[in-house]
Amino acid sequence: MMSIDRRKATLFGAAAAVRLLLFTSFPGLPDLLTARVEISTPVTSFKRLQEGLFLYNHNVSPYDGGVYHQAPLLLPLFSLLPSSATYPAFTYLLYVLLDLLSASALMSIAESGEAVSSKLFTSPRKDKRWSSFAIAAAFLFNPFTIATCIGRPTSVFTTCAILHAIAKAVNGNSFTAMFALSFAAYLSMYPILLFPPLALLCYDRRKPLKNPESMYSFVTGNAIAVGGSLYSLLHMSSLITGSWEFLSSTYGVQLLLPDLTPNVGLWWYFFIEMFDSFRNFFLGVFWIHLSAYVAGLTIRLRRQPLFVLTLLLGIFAIFKPYPSISDTSLFLAMLPLYRHVFPLMRYTFLASSTVLYATLLGPAFYYLWIYAGSGNANFFYAITLVWSLGLSLLTSDALFAVLRDELEVERPDLKGKEIRQI
Amino acid sequence: MPPSSQAPIAPETGTFNDQDAREDVPANAVSAAPKKKEPPPESPDSIRQRIYVVLSFWAIIIIIGLPIWWKTTAIYRASLPLDQMMDWADGRACRPVFPLRISIEADTLQDHEAQHLLRTTQHALDDLNDFSAHHLRLELSPSNASTTATGLSTGGVENEELALVIRLLPGTTSKADLQSYAPVLDIYYTPNQVPSSSSSSSSLGNYIANTLRGMFAEEQAMIAYLLSTSSAPPERSPKALAPEVAESLAKWTTRSMKYSRTYHLTFSLFTPTATPSSWDIEAALEEHMKPLLESFASISNFTIDTQVQLYATPGVSGNILKKEDLSGFINAAEWPLSPSIGGAPTINFIIYVGDMEVEGGGKSWLIPQWGGVIIQSDISDLRPAMLIFSNQLMSLLGAPESGSLPLRLMTLVRVRSAGLLLKASGTMGSLARLTLALPSISIPRSVADGVYTTIEHLRKACDGLGGQEGLENARIAEEAAEKAFFEKSMVGQVYFPDEHKLAVYMPLLGPVGVPLVMTVFKEARAWRKRRRGSR
Repeated sequence: MMSIDRRKATLFGAAAAVRLLLFTSFPGLPDLLTARVEISTPVTSFKRLQEGLFLYNHNVSPYDGGVYHQAPLLLPLFSLLPSSATYPAFTYLLYVLLDLLSASALMSIAESGEAVSSKLFTSPRKDKRWSSFAIAAAFLFNPFTIATCIGRPTSVFTTCAILHAIAKAVNGNSFTAMFALSFAAYLSMYPILLFPPLALLCYDRRKPLKNPESMYSFVTGNAIAVGGSLYSLLHMSSLITGSWEFLSSTYGVQLLLPDLTPNVGLWWYFFIEMFDSFRNFFLGVFWIHLSAYVAGLTIRLRRQPLFVLTLLLGIFAIFKPYPSISDTSLFLAMLPLYRHVFPLMRYTFLASSTVLYATLLGPAFYYLWIYAGSGNANFFYAITLVWSLGLSLLTSDALFAVLRDELEVERPDLKGKEIRQI
Repeated sequence: MPPSSQAPIAPETGTFNDQDAREDVPANAVSAAPKKKEPPPESPDSIRQRIYVVLSFWAIIIIIGLPIWWKTTAIYRASLPLDQMMDWADGRACRPVFPLRISIEADTLQDHEAQHLLRTTQHALDDLNDFSAHHLRLELSPSNASTTATGLSTGGVENEELALVIRLLPGTTSKADLQSYAPVLDIYYTPNQVPSSSSSSSSLGNYIANTLRGMFAEEQAMIAYLLSTSSAPPERSPKALAPEVAESLAKWTTRSMKYSRTYHLTFSLFTPTATPSSWDIEAALEEHMKPLLESFASISNFTIDTQVQLYATPGVSGNILKKEDLSGFINAAEWPLSPSIGGAPTINFIIYVGDMEVEGGGKSWLIPQWGGVIIQSDISDLRPAMLIFSNQLMSLLGAPESGSLPLRLMTLVRVRSAGLLLKASGTMGSLARLTLALPSISIPRSVADGVYTTIEHLRKACDGLGGQEGLENARIAEEAAEKAFFEKSMVGQVYFPDEHKLAVYMPLLGPVGVPLVMTVFKEARAWRKRRRGSR
């Protein structure tokens, strides 16, 4: 027990050291990464946060400039810190701390063993999992995570909240989990779609009671908890900003996509090209597409709600309106929990090399388009397509592997055989 | 990843059905299949689960997707008063009538004589006039009329402007003399011309009628021309205009600027060398231009700027300018002449310092709807140039060529109101026809508002035609009509016929929709098979 704690301390210390070293030895790096479209989106950018903070500290509505689209509660938090322009160290420490908190939540998810053996399903490969230490290390030393931390987008808060929601759910604290989920949804809106699988996860992992309540009343109770905490968060926000106008500048921007700054997602280019009269219709189509997966996956993978959460995080990283590599790093943090199904995946090499290819060529094509002027928007869009292709390959392959794992419990005779669709 | 990739998982067959896997399954798997024993029957649980999954996708599509589709692609068509609009366009809603009130001051005549003269003159006028829209109505001036309880001029509204005052003065010969700075016509008559009360016509009456007719012939022709070029019903139009009159009126239309409440005048001095670098334009404008512009105040306002450009080369070279060169004289590429300040249309007046000759004489010319040019080598005296510019300005603003200044201005008001009224009515008609012809065009609320504003002001303009207010209302109506007709969001839809919508929907919805629909079919087939099997 002692040694585990020491290993954990060493790991966290090393992760913090790497981040602080990058912050201090390359003073230009944080600002460089903050400006990258792959890291900062209009709804998470640290630069825009600074703008909102400036307006907020000068008693002007932070949403007046039309630049700031993030949640109002971030403002008092950041105005408590010394200004990041004069004392950047405090901001750095905050972001490092958030990463470490996320990692510790991830460790507690891994330690629970929910990934290999849930209440309704136990994988025959359950002994082949990675230790929580390895999973946390994979998260903390993932270049995407580090780059996100240095670039300081506020999506780090969302990541932390989601991981804590899952960790609390796995440990049976359903109301804490629901509060963490509401906080994530409050910050970024899309995590509200994680509610059905998370509620099921809470239901499966809740502490045994003498007279267990039915699933419906449990889920209803949780929904009320989420609604209540969301309402109180929103109400606090309206008190802070003095009006409800923040709703349209934060969630309205996510829903209606007025800012078409390029990012690694698929929406911006599509809506640049879209006919004006069909814009609203296709906004609806894209949002429905994003949310349509939730119900289907939750029903199909009822026995493994944690995997539904993992898959949905992967899907969101591809299809949400303003994705960044921060979302990918969250998906890649959850994926190692399913180490035991990796041997069943068929395209790991293809998917990982596609992602790697896009990672390297993305910034190059962006440079060609924006700075060198020798390329155009199609260059960057093509590479974001490749990136999304790699991620969807990874997501669907993981789904395939988990379903195959489930099948082998049902039909042990098919173990190791090729399968095909009929 | 299409949404159905998770939906049709079919463990009953002993196979996975993952769309992404389909193409990549090695061929030997297919050959191995027949050797395998028949897969065990699917458990009811997994069937139910699969149906739930399919239903969950369809529920989202039907409950959220369809309303969104319906709401976001419905074309908003505000209702327009189409009948009224067509009435205006066809001239049914308004009969443009210009009653011109002409007052006769005949202090030297007896009351009954004056009354009689009035009657006979009116009669003579009515006989001469064949154009009902343009109607001259005589009345005795109040000094006379006060003594007659019921004159012919009943119902004359007091605040209505008088078009002309005729003063009958005794003289030795009969002659007409139009005063230059007031709308007053002095007519001298000899005593023997005073009609006796018995005669049904009088020479003085005829003389007055002929003079008046001559004076208003141009205005009448202008209005007749406007009506004949609009879509008003033919019976309203007068008899066809003489070809040469029609031609000169067509020229007048092309020459004059579009009416605006404000014009911007730019006076420019261009010189090919470094001299002269200054001109006494301010004093010249003050002296010769300002009075004219002030008299225009009720029709249009003017803003003025001036400029001097050195080393300016004209668009054509040579010492003799041919007629066809004149249009190219303005060096539009290099001369800074197009700063339309504040959105008001600009009228340019240019003095070019040089000694070029224009073929066929003259040193100035007018460029239709643009301005005027004068070539002049000496600019120490700007008076002649200013007089030419004043003339050109009158021409460009569309004023008639004959008559005294007040009469010309009053004619201009009437002609402009008629033109704007007809134009706005025509636009209403076009908009109504467009609305009927293109059922898929969207009509935003702003267009409907514009139409109602137009019709309201058209109505007011029609009631007060000929006066200041009529012009103002006609102008507002015309502006609102143009704005409604050229509404941007409406025009965009015209290029988007229904066939193109397929091209918009298919590429994205096709790949998503086909698996969804196919799954439903497959499930329905499986369900039927199960039912038949259980029976």
